[in-house]
Amino acid sequence: MEEQDLIKGLQVSDRQVQEYLYEKYSRALYGIIRRIIFDQELAEEVFHDAFLKITKKIGSYDESKGRLYTWMANICRNAAIDKTRSKEFSKSSKTNTIDDYVYGMESESGTAAAVDGIGVRELMEDLNEEQRLVMECIYFKGYTHTEVAEAHAIPLGTVKSRVRSALQVLKKKADKI
Amino acid sequence: MDIQAYISSGKLELFVLGDLNETEQQEVLSMAKKYPEIQQEIEEIEAAMFAFDQASGPEPSPSVKNKIFASLDAERESAGPSDKYLEKEVKLYPAANPWKPFAVAASLTAVIAIGAAAYFGYRYYDAEERVLLVLEQNASLAENLQRTEFRLDQLDADTKQLLSGNFDRVPMKGEGLPMQEDARVDVFWDRESSEVFLSVNQLAELDENSDYQLWAIGEDGPVGIGLVDPEAKLNLQSMQAAGDAQAFAITIEPKGGSESPTLEKLVVLGEIS
Repeated sequence: MEEQDLIKGLQVSDRQVQEYLYEKYSRALYGIIRRIIFDQELAEEVFHDAFLKITKKIGSYDESKGRLYTWMANICRNAAIDKTRSKEFSKSSKTNTIDDYVYGMESESGTAAAVDGIGVRELMEDLNEEQRLVMECIYFKGYTHTEVAEAHAIPLGTVKSRVRSALQVLKKKADKI
Repeated sequence: MDIQAYISSGKLELFVLGDLNETEQQEVLSMAKKYPEIQQEIEEIEAAMFAFDQASGPEPSPSVKNKIFASLDAERESAGPSDKYLEKEVKLYPAANPWKPFAVAASLTAVIAIGAAAYFGYRYYDAEERVLLVLEQNASLAENLQRTEFRLDQLDADTKQLLSGNFDRVPMKGEGLPMQEDARVDVFWDRESSEVFLSVNQLAELDENSDYQLWAIGEDGPVGIGLVDPEAKLNLQSMQAAGDAQAFAITIEPKGGSESPTLEKLVVLGEIS
């Protein structure tokens, strides 16, 4: 399905199109949320709300500002980050690190790892320490690059270039798989 | 502008991550429009991001999908105004029709309008009838006026004649005559102009086949000088001229009058003194 047809279908709340959207993007979008919120139940709750928000706000999506996926990814990321900053979340204090995430995933029932095929650990293992730190803060904790720069006393430009180099590595890795 | 430096600055990654403020976003968008390389780089980052997200996470559990679509179905049902269920409900419960208050208002207005139309229609016919009546009265008044004017003219003319001429009043009475004891008629006669007028004071009505006839009795015997209308009482009646007369008399004659008087039917007689 072309992205424009997909958007049109979503605008008229076509159930088949919504299902297509879910099949195509649910794993990636849920992945974003799950990286930030380790708790499965909470992550699924956030994903539920975020997916509904996507179908409702499709009218405000502007094609000139990027692809549909990028727009949806930002909604999911922001929803997850908002949750981590809520009172409810700070009580359970489930702030992830890559290691929590990776080992948490592995300690879950073996089926999860098997279905996933490739885990975050494999994706991350090629990154150096500096790249890992930046990715952890931005991808996993939902910090902005300015927050990372301040918290770790790294110049802004350096944070940016590390994000880029980390993504370059991941891009190559994802291409290989 | 060093495109490569811009691309490798890391700004585009942050753009895709939604980690730029509004001004920076606008800058990246306008740069992407200007330089295809930047646009391509953004698309590559988006694709890489998707691939990474797709590869990094576990599948959400099937119960999430069920929940999400249950919510979406619920929204479709409650939101869609074109929903079949809603349409049915409208048909089943017409009281729920949002147009009902307007329909009620419209009916009320219609009833009031009909009432007003009937009332004013009645008023119109009533008024028209009265106008017709007034017009009729007006016409009859005008006729009366015309008659009165004519009569006035006549009286005026009579009066002028009486005042301008030298008339003798000759009272004729029925006393001592066999026909009508109480009959009384006055004749006014101008010797010089020979004009004669007559005024009935009291005279009985006649049958259809008879007329009263006035006679001027002179040296040559009685001369008929016109028929008398017994009903025009106390009105001057213009008669034919009489040049010579010692007395006036009225007899009853067959319809239209006679050449010579029927003396047996002499009603009144008045001698000139």
